[in-house]
Amino acid sequence: MKNRLFVTFALVALMPMIAYAGAAQKPIIDSYLAAAKAENAAFSGFSAERGKTFFLAKHDASADTPSCTTCHTADPTKAGQSRAGKEIAPMAVSKTPDRFTDAEKVEKWFTRNCQSVLGRACTAQEKGDFITFMSSL
Amino acid sequence: MTSNSKNTTDATVSVWDLGVRVFHWSLLIAVFVAALTGFFGSPDSLGIHLAAGVTISFLVLFRVIWGFSGSTYARFRSFLFAPDAAIKRIKDMMAHRHVRYLGHNPLGAWMIFALLVTLLLIVSTGAVVLGGVFKQGPLAFTTSFATGRLVQEIHQIFAFGLLGLISLHMAGVVYETIIGKETLISAMITGKKPNISDVSQPRAVRAKPLVALVTFVAFGLGGTFGVASFAARPALGVPVAALDPLYAKECGACHFAYHPSMGTATLWDGILSHLDQHFGEDASLSEPIRAQLAAYLKENSSEHWDTRVAHVLATANPKEPLRFTATRFWTRMHREIPDKVFASKAVGFKGACNACHSDAKTGLFAPQNLEIPEEAHL
Repeated sequence: MKNRLFVTFALVALMPMIAYAGAAQKPIIDSYLAAAKAENAAFSGFSAERGKTFFLAKHDASADTPSCTTCHTADPTKAGQSRAGKEIAPMAVSKTPDRFTDAEKVEKWFTRNCQSVLGRACTAQEKGDFITFMSSL
Repeated sequence: MTSNSKNTTDATVSVWDLGVRVFHWSLLIAVFVAALTGFFGSPDSLGIHLAAGVTISFLVLFRVIWGFSGSTYARFRSFLFAPDAAIKRIKDMMAHRHVRYLGHNPLGAWMIFALLVTLLLIVSTGAVVLGGVFKQGPLAFTTSFATGRLVQEIHQIFAFGLLGLISLHMAGVVYETIIGKETLISAMITGKKPNISDVSQPRAVRAKPLVALVTFVAFGLGGTFGVASFAARPALGVPVAALDPLYAKECGACHFAYHPSMGTATLWDGILSHLDQHFGEDASLSEPIRAQLAAYLKENSSEHWDTRVAHVLATANPKEPLRFTATRFWTRMHREIPDKVFASKAVGFKGACNACHSDAKTGLFAPQNLEIPEEAHL
């Protein structure tokens, strides 16, 4: 009886922390959400599934970097490697909790990598899907 | 130590004392190692080459002291001959007249001095090269790269000169053994020679090993401390400050953060002006950060330093002026390394300098700090 009370108490105490795990990425998701709505009136929310497809897709803008997976590997919970040999921390938020928490950093890398891999800027929906997928793992 | 026993009734007589013999064969080994690493060594054999050079210095120091404190035939005064005597020796040889000496004959004596002086010249010029080119050792604080490079040529000329002298020395031994019927090689091992009446008749003296030892330790320690204190001074034109944290963070995110001294101001300007096309990738930065990095790199570009890398990488390959690994120097220094080493997980690509050069981030690239990771060979 005493034990059950303790577990319940602990769970209640932990709830704000569990909720916080997704909350760190929320401001950035929200800003892309607003941008996606502005881009497309028919937009109806981000999708982790679309994000996954986008992440794994092959493009033909560059022979050196045909896909996100070229550097990040097909498993976002694993560390990747830049073409110049540097380790890249896993993209999955569960593995690297501070992913998608620094708006400037997120924009810097989307700007660079969308250009390198797709040969164009990404849409707000693509960025939001991507972050949603990485947060779902 | 074997003392000189010039007893005319003995069948053999001790000529070369233990000091001379140990010196001779130790020197042979040290010179062999130094020559092998110097002429044929790869960049990472510098450590062995230096060890051989230091050994030679101590051996020559000992021999000079022993020349004043050894037994009869070890002493310099027993083989100080006027140049005329050496010339007469050559004339005698050509006339097939063999005059016998127990110790060095006049020509051999001049060879000993020539060898000792040449060794001293090689060791001293070596220290200048070490200081100027590699920014190490007692002269690093005062020697420019240009001086080091120039003296490197002289060091090599002396090294070839030494090879010439060694060849003549060995030819002399062959001549004395075959024509003169002398037992020079066994004498340098046992110290003994058949007793003959020596034409030069040096005054017999006993070795003073204790005096020699004390003098050797005094000069050896004094020299070592002197060298160490000079070597501890900051080297000329070598960057010491840590990398700018912003530079290390931004550029080091994707690749090894190359030391600014590796690139000319022109190279850094070329890199920073085209970050959107950075070796096949977009590496754009916000303008304030880009400008800050550009200023840092310009202030610390190769023109501001005197290290080897700052000089040798400054000559860009016109076909790929922004790529260090396209320079002639880089290509030449890495020509023996198979592609699979660069492609291995432990290295990654040709620009991962720090995978093998443990001091790459300082821009020094000392040959002794070079080791290809074992995994890279698998």
